[in-house]
Amino acid sequence: MKIAVCVKQVPDTWAEKRLKPEDSTLDRESAEGVLNELDEYAVEEALRLIEAQGGEVVVVSMGPERAGETIRKALSMGADAGIHIVDDALHGSDAIATSAALAKALEGRGFDLILFGSESTDARMSVVPAMVAERLGLPQLTFAQKVEVDGSTVRIERQAEYGYDSIEASAPVVVSVVEKINEPRYPSFKGIMAAKKKPVDTLTVADLGLEPVTVGLAAAWSAVDEFAARPPKAAGTVIADDGAGGVKIADYLSQQKFI
Amino acid sequence: MDFALPEELIALRQSFAAFLDREVRPLEAEHAREFWGEYPDRDSLAPVVQSIRRRSAEEGFYAAYMPEEAGGQGLSVLGTTLLVEDAARSGMRLALAAIAPPNPAGPSPLLVKLPRHLWDSYVFPVVAGTTTMCFALTEPEAGSDAQSIRTKAVLEGDEWVITGHKHYITNGEHADFAIVFAVTDAEKRAAGGITAFVVPADQFRRGKLQWNLSDSHPAELYFDDARVPVDHVIGEVGMGFFEAMTFLNSGRAYIGAQSLGLAEWALDAAIDHAQKRTAFGRPLAKNQGVSFPLARSKADIEAIRWLVYHLAWRVDTEGDALGVMGDASITKYYATETAFEVADRAVQVFGGMGIMREGPVERVQRHLRMLRVVEGASEVQLLVIARTLGL
Repeated sequence: MKIAVCVKQVPDTWAEKRLKPEDSTLDRESAEGVLNELDEYAVEEALRLIEAQGGEVVVVSMGPERAGETIRKALSMGADAGIHIVDDALHGSDAIATSAALAKALEGRGFDLILFGSESTDARMSVVPAMVAERLGLPQLTFAQKVEVDGSTVRIERQAEYGYDSIEASAPVVVSVVEKINEPRYPSFKGIMAAKKKPVDTLTVADLGLEPVTVGLAAAWSAVDEFAARPPKAAGTVIADDGAGGVKIADYLSQQKFI
Repeated sequence: MDFALPEELIALRQSFAAFLDREVRPLEAEHAREFWGEYPDRDSLAPVVQSIRRRSAEEGFYAAYMPEEAGGQGLSVLGTTLLVEDAARSGMRLALAAIAPPNPAGPSPLLVKLPRHLWDSYVFPVVAGTTTMCFALTEPEAGSDAQSIRTKAVLEGDEWVITGHKHYITNGEHADFAIVFAVTDAEKRAAGGITAFVVPADQFRRGKLQWNLSDSHPAELYFDDARVPVDHVIGEVGMGFFEAMTFLNSGRAYIGAQSLGLAEWALDAAIDHAQKRTAFGRPLAKNQGVSFPLARSKADIEAIRWLVYHLAWRVDTEGDALGVMGDASITKYYATETAFEVADRAVQVFGGMGIMREGPVERVQRHLRMLRVVEGASEVQLLVIARTLGL
């Protein structure tokens, strides 16, 4: 079985994120870059599938030079090889352009399964897996809390508010996973050392056969006109209890339309 | 000169930090109250410590320093030093269970000198964190002067018969087996007359627990004609002292690393407190009487850091050679003494909360007070340093 896992480098989930004033894109230098947490679950699931059934896991990521660290981390967890799509022309790409680049990198490589985390912790759109599936003409099984591969049939439990739906499709297939699916492993020292020797192919926009004008900030379907920093936390209202504190709190809540 | 840490060790630190955050932090919060009593509630904490140890071993952190053929990761002394520091710096008591050194409950590198057919019993389980061991050297009449031990081993047929009394043995209470040092040639003693044995727990008797000011509680061990087969010798008969010396330097790097991590945690906690706590209308930190001691602590910590990293680097570069011993003593002495002072300043900044059992720094200072005594007291380290000066 040949599995691709698409991963993204995101600013540390807990860090204060900033936008760059010059082009309103995310300031990736302002916070430590980490492997998107949900993508770790996708990597783990891919590793478990090949540990059980044999095969190969290829990690695919689009991002600037330093996103290579994220590919290396997935390799240190146990993935076999990496593909890094890196090109200045891609800076500021929206989900539509990202899905185009990923689809080009994935097509024709014989993947049976293309795994994604169900969303990134920075953009939180959850659309790239669906877009990639559409571009590749593959079925999509999204929000999986369980994945089973039985020959060429891929079956998932799709997480829902009321429980889950069981759905299946024939491989090749695009699957996105939710955090309920497993507990990702931690890269060990041996894994980190082994990852240094694993191959990572670098692809540019030209290698993918995409026109530079179709990707990047200028081609994005939406634009950020302006942004402002979050206002500082205002001091709270203190109500001294002079015997009527309860009434005053109720009045306050009522004014704020909480009650 | 290149002081940059290798990128693979930076990646390993990140991986270990994620493990501590995801798996240890929730347990630390859940069990916090059990640490606060007169003595920690050991009965309810023991299974928690055991589960952290096993999980950390499964993920390859706990005994990463052991060679690959023994189930470890072949991690360098510098790499291990960083993990020991990070566990201590996390401020979580339970994090100390996630990495074996410097706690002798974890696998001693000496174990790989056992014959291979004994590894299934004594090496792989302790590396996997499913068993623990203890290091039985100290006796009531032999502390710093370890070669004065009286425990004897006599060969009877194909068995060694061991008789004697050990005390202050960390993890003596729970250990599945002990590395025991005994005299096999009274004439030669340290120069070829002391042998290291591996002795399963069913061959010794545990005496009373020895409560001390730290949260560790060593035990007395009695060997009343304990019997082990002839193959239970670590290395060569008579060479136990030399075998033990082999890993002394790395052990001292790990004590230094733990001191460093605890000092960093104490300073971070004190800085946070000094900025948030107000008295007489302004934050404590606005008083030089508070900020200068903390500034000194920062300078002290950087001095400890580079002594510790340098020692680890030397052991990795030159092997655990006797020539590194002077540096090992300097590091053990300076790191424990100085980190204790850092913790003392942190206690003072915290005031009343500083001396509370439930506060963040009280137990750090107690632990560091212990480290100034164990594994070669400061005076023993000074003796070694003086000898390197020809004194």
